[in-house]
Amino acid sequence: MGTSLLPFFQRLADSPWSIGLHESQYAYPIVESIHVWSLCLFFGTVVMFDLRLLGWIMRSVPISEVVGRLRPWTIAGFVIMVISGSLLFFAIPVRSYQNIFFRAKMILLVIAGLNMWLFHARVYPKVIEWDAAGIPPKSARVAGAVSLVLWSCILFSGRMIAYNWFDCDRQPQSALINFLTSCIPTEPAF
Amino acid sequence: MRTKLAIAVCVFGVALAGWASSVSAHHAFAAEFDANKPVNFKGTITKMEWVNPHAWVHVAVKNPNGMVENWAIEAGTPNVLFRRGFTRDTLKPGIEIVVDGYRAKDGSRRANGRDLTFADGRKLFLGSSGTGAPYELRSGGQQK
Repeated sequence: MGTSLLPFFQRLADSPWSIGLHESQYAYPIVESIHVWSLCLFFGTVVMFDLRLLGWIMRSVPISEVVGRLRPWTIAGFVIMVISGSLLFFAIPVRSYQNIFFRAKMILLVIAGLNMWLFHARVYPKVIEWDAAGIPPKSARVAGAVSLVLWSCILFSGRMIAYNWFDCDRQPQSALINFLTSCIPTEPAF
Repeated sequence: MRTKLAIAVCVFGVALAGWASSVSAHHAFAAEFDANKPVNFKGTITKMEWVNPHAWVHVAVKNPNGMVENWAIEAGTPNVLFRRGFTRDTLKPGIEIVVDGYRAKDGSRRANGRDLTFADGRKLFLGSSGTGAPYELRSGGQQK
């Protein structure tokens, strides 16, 4: 399953845009920086909201107020993160695709999205009942705690992408690692 | 009660971050390369990867016993290299160089590049400053 995507990413890696980004003098560091700045915006607002959900901060502010005020910024941050992140991936498609930390990050992103969706579909509709509560009901607190843990792990995975500990050209690696990263073990390049 | 818990968590988090950063310096150097394993090669460039986030110089090095080994030397970003006097064409395949650096921790033929000396004696600094790599100025080397 994994190997069918690899040729696609290899073709992507040979495209002039990808090479241009990969070999750029300024573009790559600028995109990287934008990714980190928007991370501050996105992750920052997410943390503030999750801490409110946990009932640890801003206890006198209604939840709906916190949501209403923070959400536009969270969405804006997320959009910029996705765009800059996609560009970073696009600059080095094959290594990113085969990077175990990148894959963990993507899986965690899906789970974090699921957590958010579950919260907004199941827990938040009843917000009127506990809007003014300093400490929200358990389901809301759990959602907030899970969100905090997941997004922290996502941030951590993202940072770890830079480290080559499980990179494909570091053979021999265990069969499990090669399977998880879709690596095709060949003679080590060096 | 919750305020105290929040403060305790924050202090713990900051302490953890402080400990983590002391382990790996500000950059990936200590995580991937060994400051106690300096290497020094004379070889011929086979490939120059002028890429982000780290440029790589591939060098064919002749062993004392005659075997040729392929080494990959990590350098800074294209922007950093450019500011140190490199261009994309400075390290064309076939050029003879002497390079020194620090060997990869995993024992692979990879090193974090430090100084690069051309056949005509010109010296250039390959690494990115502030990597956590030990760097002493040698005579004739580049300042910074």
